[in-house]
Amino acid sequence: MTRWGMVIDLDRCTGCGSCMAACHQENNLAAVGPEESSRDRAFHWLRVLPEVSGSGAEVKVRYVPQPCVQCDDPPCVRVCPVHATYLGEEGIVAQIYSRCIGCRYCMAACPYNAKVFNWYEPEWPGDLKQGTNPDVSLRPKGVVEKCTFCHHRVVKAREEARAAGREIRDGDVTPACAESCPARAIEFGDLEDPTSRVSELTRSPRAFRLHADLGTRPKVYYLAERD
Amino acid sequence: MTSVNDKGVSAGGLEFEDQDLLRSIEDSGVGFRVVSTLLCLVILTAWVIFGRQILRGLGVTGLNQPVAWGFYIVNFVFFIGISHAGTLISAILRLSQAEWRRPITRMAEVITVVVLAIGAFHPVLDLGRPDRALNIFTAGRLQSPLLWDVSSISAYFMASTVYLYIPMIPDIALLRDRGVRPRWLYQFLAWGWQGTPRQQAVLERAVGILMVLVIPIAISVHTVISYIFAMTLQPGWHSTIFGPYFVVGAIFSGIAALMMVMIVLRRIFHLERYLKQVHFDYLSRLLLIMSLLWFYFTFSEYLTAFFGNEPSEMRVFYYKVTGPYAPFFWSMVVANFLIPAILLSFRRTRTIPGIFIASTSVVIGMWLERLNIVVPSLANPRLALPTGYYIPSLVEWVMFAGGIATFMLGFVIFARFFPLISVWEIQEGRKLSIAETTERLEGYLPDPVPSAATPPMTEGG
Amino acid sequence: MESQSEPRWILGLQIASVSMIWVFVLSISAWILHLLRLSRRLHDVPSASVGISIVAIPVFLLGAAVLTYVFVGLRRGREAPDESTLEPEEK
Repeated sequence: MTRWGMVIDLDRCTGCGSCMAACHQENNLAAVGPEESSRDRAFHWLRVLPEVSGSGAEVKVRYVPQPCVQCDDPPCVRVCPVHATYLGEEGIVAQIYSRCIGCRYCMAACPYNAKVFNWYEPEWPGDLKQGTNPDVSLRPKGVVEKCTFCHHRVVKAREEARAAGREIRDGDVTPACAESCPARAIEFGDLEDPTSRVSELTRSPRAFRLHADLGTRPKVYYLAERD
Repeated sequence: MTSVNDKGVSAGGLEFEDQDLLRSIEDSGVGFRVVSTLLCLVILTAWVIFGRQILRGLGVTGLNQPVAWGFYIVNFVFFIGISHAGTLISAILRLSQAEWRRPITRMAEVITVVVLAIGAFHPVLDLGRPDRALNIFTAGRLQSPLLWDVSSISAYFMASTVYLYIPMIPDIALLRDRGVRPRWLYQFLAWGWQGTPRQQAVLERAVGILMVLVIPIAISVHTVISYIFAMTLQPGWHSTIFGPYFVVGAIFSGIAALMMVMIVLRRIFHLERYLKQVHFDYLSRLLLIMSLLWFYFTFSEYLTAFFGNEPSEMRVFYYKVTGPYAPFFWSMVVANFLIPAILLSFRRTRTIPGIFIASTSVVIGMWLERLNIVVPSLANPRLALPTGYYIPSLVEWVMFAGGIATFMLGFVIFARFFPLISVWEIQEGRKLSIAETTERLEGYLPDPVPSAATPPMTEGG
Repeated sequence: MESQSEPRWILGLQIASVSMIWVFVLSISAWILHLLRLSRRLHDVPSASVGISIVAIPVFLLGAAVLTYVFVGLRRGREAPDESTLEPEEK
C-alpha cells in the first residue's frame, strides 16, 4: 500500500507563488475577488507563508509553502459530526463535499488552518468557468474544502498502472504544485517505499514537520535551509 | 372576557387568596397582544434574514478565514448557559428542601425550556448547509463532540420539559376547574387531576425522580459544550478545566438571568407579595458565591496559561489581556466580578435595583466571557498566519435580537396560559410547611439529655 | 365536578401524546444505537464518546417512563374510577 507524502525544500523555495497559482488552476478554486479578499476570505488550498526571523541587520525571510499536511491522525476527522472528512487508505485526508453540513468544526480544530470555506456560491468570472478542470468537482456554497494532494491525479495514475498491469508506485503521480515549481522545491512520492526520493529526503537531518509535537503525524516534511 | 364571570362561580364563593397569580391568564389585556405582536415582528425579521442567509451563504456574516466561528456559536454557548438557571437551581432547591424556593421554581424551569430551545437552534444558524442538517441523523459520528451535544441537549430538553410540566399539573387542573379558556387545552393537560391523596403521591414520586435525574443531565450538557472547544488542540481551548469552568459560568449566568426575569415580571404582574426581598436576598447570596467561584476558575485558567508561557498560548493570552480583545476581557472581569461582588456584598446596595444592576451586569459579562473564549483562540492560529479582525455583521446582530425576542415571547405566551408562580406549591407551603419545617428543625437539634428525674436507663448498664 | 364532563376525544389526545413520547424516545434510542454500530464500523476513537451516548438512552427511557407513570397513576388515582381504567402504555 502506498502512503503519499511530500517533502518541501525550504532552501530551494523562492517564494514565487507558482505552486499557489497552479493549485488554483488545477483544483478549480473559486475566484473570491478583491472585496471578499480584503475581508479575509481569500481562498487557498496551498499558501506560501513568509516567515521573518531575526532583527536589525540580521533579518531573514524564508517562504514556507503550506498545503494540507495530511496528518496520519487528523484532528479534523475526529471532530467531523457527519463523516464528511476522513483519512483515505493511502493517507490522504479527503472531504466529501456532498455530505459536509458546513459546521466548520474541522476548520476550528485544524492546527494548521488547512481548510477553507465557501462563504458564498463560488464564482468563476468571465470565461474562467470554461477553463475549469473536468477531473475536479466544483464545490457548492457552504461547504468546507481542502488540499487533496491532487487526488484526481492519483486516481488517474492508478488507472494507468492497472492498464499496464502493475501496482501504482512512487513516481507515478506529481501534484500540480510540485509540477509547477520552477525551483523543484517540492517532491512528492511514496513514503512507504524506503527507496523513494521522498523517503530518502525525510531521513535527512534537515527534515522537520510542522508542529510534530502535536502528535498529528503530518505527511508533509520540510527541509530546513542551510546557513 | 367570559372567563372573568365564571371565576366567581367555580371558586365556590370561597376566598381565593392567590388571585394575583392568575391575573396574567384570566384578564390578559391589550398588553399581551401588543407585546406579542411586536416580538413576533422582531422574530419574523430574524427569520427573513435567516432565509436570506440560507439563500446567499454564510458570507453575509462577518466571519472570515481563521475566525470561522463567531456570534452564532457564542450565542449558542451563552443561551445554553442561561438555561442552567432553571432546572438545575430548581432541582437543587427542591432537593435541599429550601422552603423559599416555592415562588421561584416555576419561572426558573420556564427559562430553561425556552432558552434551551433557542440555544439548541443556534448551531443550525451556523451551518453552511442547513438543508443537510439531517445528515447528523443518518451519518452522525459519535466521536465528534458535536454529536455528544446533540444527545445531551435533547436529553436535557426532554427532562426539563417534563420537569416543568409535571409539577404544573395541579395548577392546570385549577385553571380547568375555574373554567379558563381554552378549556380543552387545560382538560387535555390536566390529565384528570383531582388532587386525591393517591394522585398526590404519584406526582410527588415523579417529581422526586425527575429532580434527581435532571441535575446530572444539566451538568453534562454544559460540560459537553465545553468539550466542543476543549477536545481540539487549539491554544486557549485545550484545557482540562473547561468542563467545570463552563458549568460554573452557566449556573452563574443562569441565576443572574433568573433574577432579571423575576424582577421584571414582579413589576409587570405585581407579584410583590410573592417575590419578596428575602427571595432576592438568598438568590443574590448564591449569585455572589458563583461570582467568586467564577473568578477563581478564571484566575486558575489564565494563570496556568500565563505561567506555562507556551508561545501559542501566550499569543491568545495577550490578545485578550492587552491586545484587541482587552476591552472585552477587562469589561468581562468588571461585569462578572467587580460589579456583583461590590453590589451584593453590602446590605445597602443589595436592594432590588442593586440586584437588578448586578444581574444584568453578570448576564452581559457572561456573554462577553463566551466571546472571549470563542474568538481569540480562532484569531490566533498556531501558524503565524496574517489574520484580520472578526467584526459581526448586522445579520448576526439581528439574529441575536431574534433570539432574545424569542425568549421574551416564550415568557409572554407562557404567562398568558399558565401561572408563573406555582399556585399549589404556594398553597401547600401556607398549609403545611410551617409544621413541616418546625418538625424538621426539631430533628436537627441534639437529642435531649436523659434527665435524672427519669427512671434509670436499662441500656446504660 | 366539571372535569367529569370531559369529552372522550381529550382522552384520545392524551393517549396519543403519551404514545408519541414513546415513539420519540424509542426512535432516539434506535438512532443512538445506529450511530454506535456506525462508529464500530468506522473504527472511531472509542473512549468517552460511546459512553456518553450509551448513558443517554436510559435517560430518555426514564423520562418517558416517568411521564407514563404519572399519566397512568393520575387516571388510576381519581376519585370515582369510571369504566375507562387504562392499560399501561407499551411498558
